[in-house]
Formats: sequence, structure tokens, C-alpha cells
Amino acid sequence: MQWKTIFVKEMLEDWRNFKWIWVPLVFILIAIMDPLTTYYMPKILDAVGGLPDGTVFEIPDVSPVAAMMMSLSEMSMFGVVVIVAITMGVIAGERRSGVAELVLVKPVSYLTYITSKWAEKLVLVWISFIIGMFASWYYVNLLFGEISFSAFLQVLFFYGLWLSLVVTITIFFNTLFKVPGLVLFVTIATIIMMSIINQVFSHVLIWFPNNMSSHIGGMLDGNHVSGDLWGTAFVTIEVIILLIIASLFSFRGKEMAN
Amino acid sequence: MSVIKVNELTKTFDKKDVVKALNFELNPGKCVALLGPNGAGKTTTLRMLSGLLNPSRGSVTFEGMKENGDIREHIGYLPQYPVFHNWMSGKEFLIYVGQLANLPKKQASDQANSLLKRVGIADAGNRRIGKYSGGMKQRLGIAQAMIHKPNLIILDEPVSSLDPIGRREVLNLMEELKEQTTILFSTHILSDAEEVSDDLLLMHQGEIVESGSIESLRTKHQTAKINLTFGDSNDNYLSSLKSIPSVNESLIERNEIQLLVDDIDQARKDILLKVSQENLPLTKFEISRTSLEDLFMKVVKN
Repeated sequence: MQWKTIFVKEMLEDWRNFKWIWVPLVFILIAIMDPLTTYYMPKILDAVGGLPDGTVFEIPDVSPVAAMMMSLSEMSMFGVVVIVAITMGVIAGERRSGVAELVLVKPVSYLTYITSKWAEKLVLVWISFIIGMFASWYYVNLLFGEISFSAFLQVLFFYGLWLSLVVTITIFFNTLFKVPGLVLFVTIATIIMMSIINQVFSHVLIWFPNNMSSHIGGMLDGNHVSGDLWGTAFVTIEVIILLIIASLFSFRGKEMAN
Repeated sequence: MSVIKVNELTKTFDKKDVVKALNFELNPGKCVALLGPNGAGKTTTLRMLSGLLNPSRGSVTFEGMKENGDIREHIGYLPQYPVFHNWMSGKEFLIYVGQLANLPKKQASDQANSLLKRVGIADAGNRRIGKYSGGMKQRLGIAQAMIHKPNLIILDEPVSSLDPIGRREVLNLMEELKEQTTILFSTHILSDAEEVSDDLLLMHQGEIVESGSIESLRTKHQTAKINLTFGDSNDNYLSSLKSIPSVNESLIERNEIQLLVDDIDQARKDILLKVSQENLPLTKFEISRTSLEDLFMKVVKN
């Protein structure tokens, strides 16, 4: 009951400040940017004056899989930044402004408060991500060649898990700090650290969440879901659950009026 | 039977006791003022009562509360500077916090309508809170504190930030509310406390230094006082007046020497004798009684 109340209020807030409009639009942009510019590069070059005569410039053929992976690669940069930016203030902002003092003086459990806000942001992120990737899938099929719908759904599911982890990390830092800008900085720093760890130890930490997209690439190439992809998905879900529990404990230790 | 019982309540920040072992009870249907100068620990105390801060020591218990119950179910709280979601309308916000206090949506909505009317902002109910004036926000704040009909309403400096008109309106509102519930409010202004409250808790440097009903405090601290003014600087004469045995205490206030005495007849005789013996240029001699204001000033200055 209280859970639904906060969830609905968050939905309404994101509607009134237009997040439900601009976040899906930005995700469409992020998803189609790279495949489209790659496809139209020869025409763009021509339009801006072309290459000097005699230049041999082979534009490699891009496979449909490579084109779709381009979308994911942009997601992992700009998509992540957008997600952190729209989530950085959900709890920290309310505590900083003082609204939390009015809300949490009502008999609301901290678990309800945290998870309802978390769930609402997940819904916003998933829907925006799905819309964006549909646009990407459409152009990839049109311009580069076919990717089956079932493979596309698998991409959505597994990569969506990684984005859910990004939301959860941001929520976790929301419970630690009460300055949204600091939440943004620390979350991005953490994700960059994870990416460095992933690059250095990728041969050992095969199921590390940041490995998700490379396993997804493997899945699209080989046309089946590998055990490593399932393993990575499993680890990601585990980390999400642990982070939610950690958020609860971190929030409990806080005094709301400080 | 008391609504709330506070036992050895203590709060320590950075090894410093901001609130020191408070003990008090509030009786149902009373309006109680927590009076004290800025920095006395009033806000910290109220935040502990409302569950926003955890006491370092001691306990707060409510009537009829179960073991490990949630004290937040029994109280309504208005912070000193209430902040709302400015994108919501006043009515939406009341329904929102009503549902958070476990009211079904229909009931929260009815309650929101009647409270908006009660606090006098029914016309603005559908307007965005961002457009409200300070006084309207304060009224909305009181309405949100009452939405779940709590046993105790805690108001932190409800009138301090308002202009004279807003202050009058909120004081009148509190006057009405105390018919229905117990109110505890903090203030640093004695006249506000005297106007609406039945009981007074006088707080200074983290301690309750004096408490009781306004009437009983008035009687208890009503000692005789003699006010003197001299032709030139009063400071010159204070020391010689101090030495009179029947004068208990002396201070200079607003260009007046004030002498606190027990036996008014004896003191008058002594003082006038001294004045004539030393030929002091006395211009005014007045006998009066100390007020709560004097008590408050005395506590604050020590």
C-alpha cells in the first residue's frame, strides 16, 4: 500500500518533470547514433567535400551483429551517464531539501522507501532502453541485415540486467550521501573502476557484470546463450540484491534530520 | 495518564551533550510550549520525540504503544522549515502523506479536503505548492501533521518565520487545534507561549530549568521588585545599592536599576534612607512584581 503510494508518486513526478518524454528520446538517439553514422559515412564524406582524388579508403562491411553491438557500446557510455543523472537525486535530493523529514516522519519503513523508488527508476530505465533498442533493431535490420527477434529479446534481457545494476549502484550511493552531485561522481567513478578491473582481470573474472556485453556479442555471433552469459546474469542479479540490502543498512544508520 | 513520557533523554553531538537527561510527561489535551533561547536544544529534543534523531541515551514512550512499536504512528510533526514537493498541489501532498500514514486513498482524500478547509487554504488546495506563500506553507505543514489524527502534534517554531498576520493566523489555528489533540510546540518568544499554551517547559543549554503551568510559574516566580532611575548614569549607584542587606539581587535593565527583594517594606525604608544619606539624585522610584519575562531573561543570561 505505502509501497504503491511512493511508486505512483515517483511516476507522477517523472511525468511532470518530463523524464518520461526526454529519457526515451535520448535513449533512441544513443541507440541509433552509431549504426546510422557508420552506414551513412560515405555519403556524409561526399557531402562535406569528399576525399582527395586518389585516396583509397575502404569502408569495411559492418555485420548486423557489429552494428547492434555499436548501440550497446554507446549505451554503456552515454546511457549509463543518463541513468546515473536521473537517479542521483531520488533519495539524496529529498534528504538534502528536507522533504524526507516530512515523509519519513510518517510510519514508512525504510525498505519500502528505498525499493519503491528503485523500482520506479527501473521501470523508467527499462522502458526507455527497450524503446531505444527497438529503434536500433529497426535500422540494423533495414541497413545492415537481419537479427532475429528472439536474439533481439535476449539482448534486451541481458543488457537490461546490466543497466539495472547501474540503477542499483546509484541508489546505494543515494543512501550514503546526501549531495546528488557527489552521488553522480562516486557512482561514475565506481563504474569506471569496475570497468578497469574487468579489463585487467577479464580472463579470471569471467562472470564479472561488466563482461555482459562481450558475452552478448558472443551470443549474437554463435546464436546461442552461453553458460558464461547465464553466469554473468546470475552474478549481476546477486550483486543487485546485495546492494539493496546494503542500502537498507546504510540508510538505517542515518539520522534523517542531519 | 500521560500521552508521552520522556525518560533521561540525552543527545550527544561530538562528545558534547546538546540535550541533557530530560524527564517530562505531557498530559492529554494540553498545549505545551517548549520555550528557550536559540541553541537551547529545542529542535534536537523535538526531533528525538518524532523519531528523526536517535537518542544517545534515554527513552520516549507513548501511551498504548506496543513494545518495539513505531512511535511515528502516534505523532504528527512539523519541522521548523517544512519543505514540500513543490510540483504537487497542496491537496495531492496531503493525500500522499495520508496514504503514507496508512489511510486508504478515499479516506486520505476526505481528510485532506476537511483539513484544507480547517487550516483555511481550501481555495489553494489545487494550486502548486511552489506558488504558496510562507504562511500558506506553514498551514499546509500543520495540516500534514494532523492527517492521520495523531495523539500528539509536535510543531517546531511554528510562528517564528511568519509575518505578524501569518503569525496571528497560525496562533489562532493552534488555539482551535488544542481542543482536539495534545500539542507540543517550541518557541523562543515568551508572548507566543503565554498566549496559546497551558504548560511551559523552559529549556536552557540542553536542560529543562523550569516547568509547570503558566499560572503556577507566574505565581512561583512573582517576587517583589523595585525599579529605580537616577539623574545621571545608573552604573555609579549600583554598587552602593547592592550593599543594602535587604536587597537580594540587582541588575540594570533598560536604563533602570532593578532590585529584587523579599520584604518590600524593609527594603523601601533601607533604600530611601540610603538615598537621603548619600544624597543620591533619584528621579524615579517604583514598586512592581517580576513577570515571566524576567524569569526567562534571568535564565537565559545565567
